[in-house]
Amino acid sequence: MRESELHLDVVGPEGVPLRFPAATLAERAMAFGIDLMILFLSLAVVAIALVAAGAASGFATLVGLGLVAAFVIQHGYFIFFEIHWQGTTPGKRLLKLKVVSRDGAGLRPDAVLARNLMRDVELFVPLATIDAPEQLVGDAPWWMLAPTSLWLAVMLFLPVIAKERTRVGDLVGGTIVVRIPEATLARDEAARTSLVPGAPPSDAITFTQPQLDHYGELELETLADLMRKHDQGAASTQDLKIVARTIAQKIGYGGPTPTDDPVRFLRAFYKQQRAFLEKKLLFGKRKTSKFDD
Amino acid sequence: MTEPRSVAFRKEREGQWFELDRLTDKALTSGLKSLDAGELHRLPVLYRSCIASLSVARRTAMDQALVDYLEALAARAYLAVYGSRRSTRGALRAVLFEEFPRRVRALGRELALSTGFLTLGAVVAWTLMSVEPGWYDAFVNPALAGGRDPYASTESLRAALYDGGEQGEALSLFASFLFVHNARIGMLCFALGFAAGIPTAMLLFTNGLMLGAFLHLYHSRGLLFELVGWLLPHGIPEIGAVILCGAAGLHLGRSMLLPGARTVRAALADAGRRSSVVVAGAVLLFGVAGLVEGIFRQAVTNDLVRYALAGFNALWFFSWLFLAGREKKPGAREASISRGASRGTGTPRGTGMSSSGGPGA
Repeated sequence: MRESELHLDVVGPEGVPLRFPAATLAERAMAFGIDLMILFLSLAVVAIALVAAGAASGFATLVGLGLVAAFVIQHGYFIFFEIHWQGTTPGKRLLKLKVVSRDGAGLRPDAVLARNLMRDVELFVPLATIDAPEQLVGDAPWWMLAPTSLWLAVMLFLPVIAKERTRVGDLVGGTIVVRIPEATLARDEAARTSLVPGAPPSDAITFTQPQLDHYGELELETLADLMRKHDQGAASTQDLKIVARTIAQKIGYGGPTPTDDPVRFLRAFYKQQRAFLEKKLLFGKRKTSKFDD
Repeated sequence: MTEPRSVAFRKEREGQWFELDRLTDKALTSGLKSLDAGELHRLPVLYRSCIASLSVARRTAMDQALVDYLEALAARAYLAVYGSRRSTRGALRAVLFEEFPRRVRALGRELALSTGFLTLGAVVAWTLMSVEPGWYDAFVNPALAGGRDPYASTESLRAALYDGGEQGEALSLFASFLFVHNARIGMLCFALGFAAGIPTAMLLFTNGLMLGAFLHLYHSRGLLFELVGWLLPHGIPEIGAVILCGAAGLHLGRSMLLPGARTVRAALADAGRRSSVVVAGAVLLFGVAGLVEGIFRQAVTNDLVRYALAGFNALWFFSWLFLAGREKKPGAREASISRGASRGTGTPRGTGMSSSGGPGA
């Protein structure tokens, strides 16, 4: 899980807040671009089909039919997919994005309707106004022009400004767009006893209660990170030696030299420190860091 | 040496988590339909036990990797379980004949306001034109007027009501053009409600101006009765739909200005969801108006038949909006109110799963 990411907490029906990574603007723009391409393609297919049918029927009926079909496709595309594909569209599915109801209840069709009815006014109206301002505002006086342009700018750039990257449609529909999180379970560092086959088990190293009373959760987590990094080759054995020596000094460890086999020493320390902290927590005492008394 | 409690915790539950992960993957990549009956039954059970594991791990486990994993797994499973409430059979019918009229009736004040703005526009246009007929050009877009302006002769104005010059195919093109144009205006009317409802009110007012200008033009030539007969058959669904969209937009604006005890954001989302159904119904009404316009308007030239058609349209229109979806049983009203309240606060009302034989919560 990347730390710098924006997370959105949604309280599900069970009353437990769940944490979702918010979709980035780039991801949403890409998903929208893909959907737009599919939309244009299907419009083109309809147009070709109508022209092919044009030999049989008259021209005007055809154009009329085409107008209605284009309207239905343009406005029905997102609504259809978000209702039937559980909050996704082809573009969103490719980028693993999903529309979720902000209140944690299931996504209902009326929310989908609301968020997509706003699409026209928040995107196409501002763009059309930038392209040809005279069409919308005409020769309006400045006191009407200024608030209108400000408003259009807010509509267009709301996802950039808003805390949760919501667009206007998300506000009106009460929805957010999240990325489907990846769930990978890292190995439990405390469940492994030995690294080298045949080496004496790390359980042979034991720490006394006062020795375990120095560090808190923060240091424990940092140590787990370091050991995982070492397994992946991102941290050298030299780093482990330094850490092992520091810990031994701080807690006043008097056993065999920890720097001989730092992995074994650190693993034993991690396991016993964790068991100790969890046991303390059971009695209601939480130690978040070494500065926490 | 004792093991950390979280190690045992994890060993006991790992199997269930992996099973949930597998089912969630399947549901998210190929949809809930790809799960068989047993898996469908299992998914919510596993999801709830995963939620319980997450709550315990958050409070007691000193292993961030484990907590992160459970966070992600629970979030994924939530998306699979609560992703969308699947519509059951007859849902469309329920929306059309129960939810839509109910939502319309719930917008009482906004409907009155919306009708007021439209009428105000019509009255202003009528009054100004009785002083100076030249105002017509300011109110009516020449592209939509089609030559029906103060400079046309009375005869050609009358002719526009009875043959219109368009026949057969051109008429169907015109009808579909009007449908798309009107539906866009209607949706805009709703969406612009986001600007505190001000543009919606202005849009209603200018549409009223256009209507008033038309009425006065034909009145000044003694053709008011004929115009109303021409206008009403399609005008009832069409103007009705404009008023509905306007009311939906005003509802949106009101929720921003007067959110009450809720936050603006919660009020806005609630208003948006409630009124979006009204707008969808209005788009359908624009379609009906387009059909009436394309098929009947020029084919039926007898004034009395036109008024009869208008009466028929008014009958189904008003009984649909004001009578449909009312519950008959006594005490049903309270039930519908409490249901509406639970909808507003987002209390879960079952999931897509429970209809497929999943266990209750």
